[in-house]
Amino acid sequence: MVQYIHYTDPTSPEMVRVLEEIPRCPGVCFFMDINRSTDIKYQGGLKDWGRKLNNTFNNLLYANHFQQHVVKGIGDEMMLFIPEDALKKKFSNNTCFALLEDIYSALYLIKNHPDQDLYLNCKVAIHYCTEVYNITFFEGADDYYGSDVDLTARLMARSAENRIVLSETFYLKVANDLVNLGLPPDAGCLKRISDRLMENFKGVPVSTAYRVIEVQ
Amino acid sequence: MELTEQKTDQCIIIGIVGRLDTTNYTVLEKKLMDLAENHHDKILVECSKMDYISSSGLRILLMALKKITLLKGKFALCCLQENIQEIFEISGFTSIFEIYSSREEALKVF
Repeated sequence: MVQYIHYTDPTSPEMVRVLEEIPRCPGVCFFMDINRSTDIKYQGGLKDWGRKLNNTFNNLLYANHFQQHVVKGIGDEMMLFIPEDALKKKFSNNTCFALLEDIYSALYLIKNHPDQDLYLNCKVAIHYCTEVYNITFFEGADDYYGSDVDLTARLMARSAENRIVLSETFYLKVANDLVNLGLPPDAGCLKRISDRLMENFKGVPVSTAYRVIEVQ
Repeated sequence: MELTEQKTDQCIIIGIVGRLDTTNYTVLEKKLMDLAENHHDKILVECSKMDYISSSGLRILLMALKKITLLKGKFALCCLQENIQEIFEISGFTSIFEIYSSREEALKVF
């Protein structure tokens, strides 16, 4: 449950105590960004931009029941977070592998829809977070903070249209799911996964390992 | 999920029973692709007992449609439950698939 942080005294010992005791909330964080939507906003106006954003968000969210996990949206980008215990309880896509498969499929459906005037192509970054806390500084809001959320956002820098970037941490979770499910290492969209890549992201003190999947 | 198969004079009817998601979409994928490769290019997918579909299931249906269209065959769906129909509408599938409310109605177009 989200912890609301709001103290009027900047030196409040109570605030420090509360922050120290907030438990971690491990789970999967992913960012979904719609490509070229700013161009369309200026070229086609609100009705064209809004229509395609509506259609694309719907396609990304509803078939997989992701809508309940949207933490925030900023223009054409969404941040989603699924706590590990919530992921396990999901009716479907309740493993990291299943989650990856459904995200891949959502991007595939948009890319391959015969009417290319309905949707906009997307890019995604996914990370399995352990250094993350369910806190907010705004009353009534829900949010997640932590260095792993920051890292997920950084991974977006290596994403591109119709590409999924996944941290090595998330990939290892997926690989573990495959073992548990008795599936081969190249099951589903993992046939298209890259070798391990390394990057020194700004503000991240250590190198980050990641992989990419290009949606066909 | 279970699949049923029935051959008629007009087409092959594949029935989907249960949930079509990441745990089982490969079963449907193999069935539909095997049919296409064996020159069965008239396929009706009967969905009255399919109660859930995720993006992975939708992807297999779209792949099958593209494959059968290349073969100049016919691929249609019928008997979608209300919640499935909603997912199809949101995904823009109702405009690209031939969808019929009953099996009888669908069989007339094959």
